Amino acid sequence: MIQSLANWILSFDILSGLGYSISWGLSLFVVSALIFVFVAVNAIVLVYIERKVSAFMQVRLGPMRVGKFGMLQTVADALKLLQKEDIIPRMADKVLFIIGPWTILIASVVTFAAIPFSETLLAANMNIGLFYVVSISSIVVLGIVMAGWASNNKWSLYGAMRSAAQIISYEIPVGITLISVVAVVGSLNLQTIVQAQAGVGNLFHWIPIPLPNWFIFHSPFLFLAAFIYLIGATAEINRTPFDIPESESELVAGFMTEYSGLRWALFFLSEYANATLVAFLVAIVFLGGWQSPFADYQGAQVALAIMTLTAGMWTAFVKTKVGRLSIYPLGLSLALTLSAWLFPGFAIWLASPGLFWMIMKAATIIFLLMWFRWTFPRLRVDQLMYVSWKVILPISIMNLMGVAVWMWLTGEIQF
Amino acid sequence: MGRLHAEEMILNMGPQHPSTHGVLRLKLTTDGEIVSKIEPVIGYLHRSFEKHAENLEYQMVTPFTGRCDYLAAMGSEHGYAMAVEKMMGIELPERVEYLRVVFAELQRIASHLVAVGTFGLDVGAITPFIYCFRERELILDLFEMASGARLLYNYIWIGGLAHDVPPGFVEKTYEFLDAFDKRVAEYNQILTGNKIFIERAADIGVMTPEVAINYGVTGPSLRASGVNIDIRKTQPYSIYDRFDFEIPLGEGLQGTVGDSWDRYYVRVLEMLESAKIIRQALDQLPVEGDVKSAIPKRIRPPKGEVYFRSENPRGELGYYIVSNGKNVPLRVKMRSPAFSNLSVINEIGQGFMISDVIAILGSLDIVLGEIDR
Repeated sequence: MIQSLANWILSFDILSGLGYSISWGLSLFVVSALIFVFVAVNAIVLVYIERKVSAFMQVRLGPMRVGKFGMLQTVADALKLLQKEDIIPRMADKVLFIIGPWTILIASVVTFAAIPFSETLLAANMNIGLFYVVSISSIVVLGIVMAGWASNNKWSLYGAMRSAAQIISYEIPVGITLISVVAVVGSLNLQTIVQAQAGVGNLFHWIPIPLPNWFIFHSPFLFLAAFIYLIGATAEINRTPFDIPESESELVAGFMTEYSGLRWALFFLSEYANATLVAFLVAIVFLGGWQSPFADYQGAQVALAIMTLTAGMWTAFVKTKVGRLSIYPLGLSLALTLSAWLFPGFAIWLASPGLFWMIMKAATIIFLLMWFRWTFPRLRVDQLMYVSWKVILPISIMNLMGVAVWMWLTGEIQF
Repeated sequence: MGRLHAEEMILNMGPQHPSTHGVLRLKLTTDGEIVSKIEPVIGYLHRSFEKHAENLEYQMVTPFTGRCDYLAAMGSEHGYAMAVEKMMGIELPERVEYLRVVFAELQRIASHLVAVGTFGLDVGAITPFIYCFRERELILDLFEMASGARLLYNYIWIGGLAHDVPPGFVEKTYEFLDAFDKRVAEYNQILTGNKIFIERAADIGVMTPEVAINYGVTGPSLRASGVNIDIRKTQPYSIYDRFDFEIPLGEGLQGTVGDSWDRYYVRVLEMLESAKIIRQALDQLPVEGDVKSAIPKRIRPPKGEVYFRSENPRGELGYYIVSNGKNVPLRVKMRSPAFSNLSVINEIGQGFMISDVIAILGSLDIVLGEIDR
């Protein structure tokens, strides 16, 4: 993207005098700014959505006052945070206290450089993209430890220590599950990984159910790996049920206790940036990234019809507790199907890959993360370690071997 | 190289802490995450109830009782009113007795809803808390209908009630009861059976019957240890002997008898039993009748003393009242259940982790207003 932007700038007669390096630097600046803006806006939108989702789950309305349906609530909150007094505790380690939140933010923002949002929308097409994302995002723990230590508060220290232990232990199973996908593709390039999932094939290679070639449907092992990755990633980004470092009711927000105003907002920003990153990674690695779930426009029409049928049966036969809301899925899928059959252009658009599908998949994963957060209690710190070292890690190692055997059985690789 | 020098760290939990249910301070001696000693420091919510009572007429004490256990004000008022009535030998109209039981049991449900919800909150589940408060709101609406207040009612007076319930109260209570049973099923779905919740609560803070009795633990926390003591059954006061209800006991369904999960689940079951009692009381409620018995304007109990116990949502609430024949009590001593219940925390919480101490504290369901008085 930087490359093409630089070339585009040079294509104007007036600007062609800039020379390649200046134009390249300018593009780099523009792209970085775009990523930062994306992260900031994304956090504001996600906080609003999270509050609305939690309100929906807790039979209340959520923010309603600022703007229509409270849509400007988070903007107002952000403005309030910017105005607040910047407090540094007297006994705190000043330098670490200041650079802690920035470390976290920078680590979570720069990972987005390697994320392919669509076929062309990609800041840096790295050949080690996946490795880059995983390694940079683990710098976050450094910032958390800095913040926890510098606060000079016992609760913050506990939060930081827990966080260090947690993130390091979950990085291993997460890494191994990602390696099992890399074993299938043979590349660490995220764009290549997405491109490898194009088209439609059988479920688990043999079962004759036509499904997209996404890695989650590649084999039972990768199916399991997707869930392991989701669990591990939830732990890595400190969300419930693994929100032990900041556990509000135990450690009083843990490493964030002493922070206020803008610095605290940075933690928030990076928290949502990380959640988004995980959602995008799940989408890219297991759900086909920006690929459409439909093979062609006829496939889209048929799939939507099946969806409507399922939704209709669900509404008709299954007694649901949501009452009036239970007809919404049916209405939505009916509307989609009708427009797909009536306007082939719509079906063609649905079947074509692009940013839309990437965001849809990521949004689904983010909703799942929110659903976890608002329904689960929190694990204890030793139970968390147990889950990581004794459950998830062995399963992910077995999985990696299973994937290799599977590929040999299906003839994807030969010895 | 010598051995690594490690020492225990003293961690101050509270007085400002989201999970200490008020302003309680716990001095935790911690070795890493493991807590080796818990020392509760109380007194941050002292309102000198007993001193107040020594300077006020008997009727004037009633509103102060509610301020002790502010989550179960009806129960506290009920106990105090019964203690004075016992001293004076006042006979109550039937309708008063039934209505008092209805209010006391509604209060028990409301109080247990807070206990169950905040226990969920302590282990990190936020949504069940909101669900519990949704139902508590309905009960508070009923209280508001009757007394005009939502937290501190001053409704159960010596010799009767402040005034009769408004028309439509009984129907609304029935409506609430009909909805409530289904709502409890919802709590069980979202919290009781949740695997993570069971992991967090089962086998945590096991209180053996001996420990419970030695520390004077009462109420649901005692019954969770399998000790069948409920004053409503063992020494029925008011008209509790007329109702058919069970006393839920801890059975160790998910772990050991007397663990935090049992203490939680006993409360869930007790809410259903209370709903049963309310239903029976409303069925038998006399339609006509006065809600005030004829008592003198100035209450002067005869010289002497009385100790009266009643079963509050948190346990055995006792009032020890000494009278010297004047219209002001010489001494009012309140035996508050949560005070004794809290004292056991060092015994059952040692050797667990910080997160467990919070779960144990939540499962004991303390109210600081009543501990400090």
